[in-house]
Amino acid sequence: MLEVRDLVVEITVHRRAPIRPVRGVSFEVRSGQRLGIVGESGSGKSLTALSLMGLLPPRARIASGEVYLRGRELTGLSERELAHVRGGQISTVYQDPMSSLNPLQTVGHQVIEAICAHEDVGRREARDRAIALLRDVGLPEPERRVDDHPHEFSGGMRQRVMIAMAICANPDVLIADEPTTALDVTTQARIMEMLERLVDERRLGVILITHDLGLAAAFCDDIHVMYGGRIVESGRAASVLREPVHPYSEALIESICGLDRDVDRPIAAISGHPPLPNELPSGCPFHPRCGYAHDLCAREAPRPLEVRGHLAECHFPVGGARS
Amino acid sequence: MSSATPAVHADAAAPARADSVGRRLLRRPAAAVSAAVILILIVVTVGASLFAPYSPTAANYDLLFAPPSWAHLFGTDELGRDLLTRVLYGGRTSLLVAFAATTFAMVAGVAWGFTAALREGWIGEILMRVADMLMAMPVVLLGLVLVAAFGASTLSMIIILGVLFTPATARIARSTLLVELRSEYYLAAVSVGASGLRIVARELLPNTLPVLTARGTLVLAEVIFVEASLSFVGLGVQPPDTSWGTLLQQGYSNLYRSYSYPIFPGLVILLAVLVLNTLGDNLQKVMDPSRS
Amino acid sequence: MLRYIARRLVTSVALVFLGSVLVFLLMRVIPGDPTITKLGGTIKDVNPEALAAIRHQLGLDKSIPEQYVSWIADMAHGDLGNSYFSQFSVTTLAGQRLGATLELALMAMVIGLLIAVPASVAGAIWPNRVLNAVLSGFAAIGIAIPTFVIGILLIIGIGVELEWLPTQGYVSFQRDPFGSLQSTLLPAITLGIGVAASTMRILRPSLVDVESASFVRTAKGKGLLRRQVVMRHELPNASIPAITAAGIIVAHLVGGAVIVEYVFARPGLGTLLVDSVFQRDYGVLQALVLLAVIVFIVTSLVVDIALGFLDPRLRTKAVR
Repeated sequence: MLEVRDLVVEITVHRRAPIRPVRGVSFEVRSGQRLGIVGESGSGKSLTALSLMGLLPPRARIASGEVYLRGRELTGLSERELAHVRGGQISTVYQDPMSSLNPLQTVGHQVIEAICAHEDVGRREARDRAIALLRDVGLPEPERRVDDHPHEFSGGMRQRVMIAMAICANPDVLIADEPTTALDVTTQARIMEMLERLVDERRLGVILITHDLGLAAAFCDDIHVMYGGRIVESGRAASVLREPVHPYSEALIESICGLDRDVDRPIAAISGHPPLPNELPSGCPFHPRCGYAHDLCAREAPRPLEVRGHLAECHFPVGGARS
Repeated sequence: MSSATPAVHADAAAPARADSVGRRLLRRPAAAVSAAVILILIVVTVGASLFAPYSPTAANYDLLFAPPSWAHLFGTDELGRDLLTRVLYGGRTSLLVAFAATTFAMVAGVAWGFTAALREGWIGEILMRVADMLMAMPVVLLGLVLVAAFGASTLSMIIILGVLFTPATARIARSTLLVELRSEYYLAAVSVGASGLRIVARELLPNTLPVLTARGTLVLAEVIFVEASLSFVGLGVQPPDTSWGTLLQQGYSNLYRSYSYPIFPGLVILLAVLVLNTLGDNLQKVMDPSRS
Repeated sequence: MLRYIARRLVTSVALVFLGSVLVFLLMRVIPGDPTITKLGGTIKDVNPEALAAIRHQLGLDKSIPEQYVSWIADMAHGDLGNSYFSQFSVTTLAGQRLGATLELALMAMVIGLLIAVPASVAGAIWPNRVLNAVLSGFAAIGIAIPTFVIGILLIIGIGVELEWLPTQGYVSFQRDPFGSLQSTLLPAITLGIGVAASTMRILRPSLVDVESASFVRTAKGKGLLRRQVVMRHELPNASIPAITAAGIIVAHLVGGAVIVEYVFARPGLGTLLVDSVFQRDYGVLQALVLLAVIVFIVTSLVVDIALGFLDPRLRTKAVR
């Protein structure tokens, strides 16, 4: 349903060469599929999401590549046409519920606005739909709360409102960009539960963007791991978690502190830090931090290989040779 | 990553700000041009006797209300005196009054503001509430009242304008000091046992200077503006003293006979105020990059 | 909401009283005795009986607190006191002039906002470099240029050279509405430019700030068109700092009105004020100044209430 091919995002920098935080990303999302894009900050995942919506910041643009939604190419659309697509066919829920709602308008007004942007409905009916939606996302007493302002809600409740706004026009694809990072763990769990239910009920395609591998593994069917602006590993969620193929995925999983860990064992952090888009290492972007690196890794960028059912970009995948 | 004692690092960080501010400022084209223009203005007005082409009292009865020409770049006035010369000499008064008044306002304001900051609690609150109230009123209005009370003259202008702008400076002095009082190096100094308010003031004051200078530049601009306004209605600098405002007034009364007479002093005032505003704005932006 | 308004009302009344005390004291502290000036002589040749009579007439023989109380009491009854020099009461004098000043101020506000708001919004919708440079330049010059300079330029340009509009005097609105507007237009534009510039200086950066706010991204993400995002989400939020600064803008307006009335020879409250300063007519002066203080406090109150309507966060007690 949603197909991304070789997406490259470029940011112009004052008086210097432009940088490319997204360097050729390809994936697809089918109806009802839950896709996870996992990576650290700086991997380019959020910019990918923004570019799908056509909401890149002023200095950024899609340099090359295509995005197809239901067969229709999004990259060349005018602002007017894009406005139609946003909310109606593809929607995003963002990370910061505290500031993502207009503080001056009631919550109900904002949901109604989202509904009316895509459908010609009367005020009365829109309001009823809004209340029903708010109930659906688990907001208590929606008939009363619909006239409250955002500052009267907690973070978790605001995020529910955001989700309500995102799905109200029945989009095909929902992008959730770190939807629960700003929330405490219990709220996180509840929101993800609610999201799961909605996704199943409405057969939405979901792209969950997160740095939390565990979250992605629990929620998603398939996972793409991003590093240095490229997808370095793709596969079924459970499989990537249990048997990672790319050294980066492996290192990520190793660094998770499970409760059942041996307390004396040091935390296996990945040494170094993720590369900035203007300081990308030659060859494979991960090689300076990779435990398995060889000379070849610094010279040549790896091409995608199929290894044990995953697609990975590595010269020397974990667990031995190509399948 | 290890972290060294905050006190050591912070001390090194504290004094470096003043000169780097200056350098960063001059890199901005608008600021550099403004600084240059204001320096030129100061030089030509203070050195009016050197730069003026004629004597300010040299009347030329053959050439009354002459339009601008090569001989008289700004034209002449009702007595045939060269207007450019009069503008330069007038500038001397205007700038003198402005600088003196601003200095007064800064000193008084800093004293007021620092006291309010150091004496937290209701004394500080009252001091600031009064300052707020005074700031809310238009300066021209209050100026007129004070002129009514104390008469108009060059000296009274300096004092009145100084007094008028003290509340604004007091406010900013207080808020800057409050910020410094919460900074690490101050807490470190106190915890190390730095004695006496005076020693601490020697640490804190230099760090508040950049902000105060920026505000001072803006105040200077407004003082020139208000002095010109008051002199224009005849309630500021009194003849025979000349300032840009009095020149404008004379130009205004002779409006129908010479357009250049009021226009040139007006343009000079505009230039001075504009340039000082730009300089002040840029100073503020340089010191707080989040604002630019 | 009501509690918020009530609180602000109480503070305002308190401030008015505080202001009146300050004004009163200031007048009494002034050196020089107005009675002597009124009698037109120096201390030596003044008849002590005449002096005492004048003092009694002006109420200056009572003690200071008594004077204050009677002044305030009179004010509350609408009696603004009497001019020390002419035989008119301040109320009469001010009443004659009020129309001119009010018309000027209102027109200037309207013109100022009509320039500032569309210009700022245009700058936000079309991020064209040239346009924004022009707008910033206009705003910078607009606040740097003294009102009387604009006035003079307009007089020369439009009044004298082109002869499109009258350059002085005032026609009462009741008598001749169209003529009144004509005579007010030039002064109102003069003042309005300053208002526009001050407003733009706050509104434009505010719109830029709002542009990068999260909820704007959300609004766009909902599928709203650019103009809907700007009008419904950006502008209301960006207006808040501008409305908060309205008090300062009104202050500039009043100060500027005094000058503009002088330049255009308009018989308004501003010229009355200037004249009273020249004549040391303290009766008029103290009443006018107190009126000005009240105007500011009321403006500030209105601004706060307006903000309360606009921004629901202000109505709740800060529980941060």
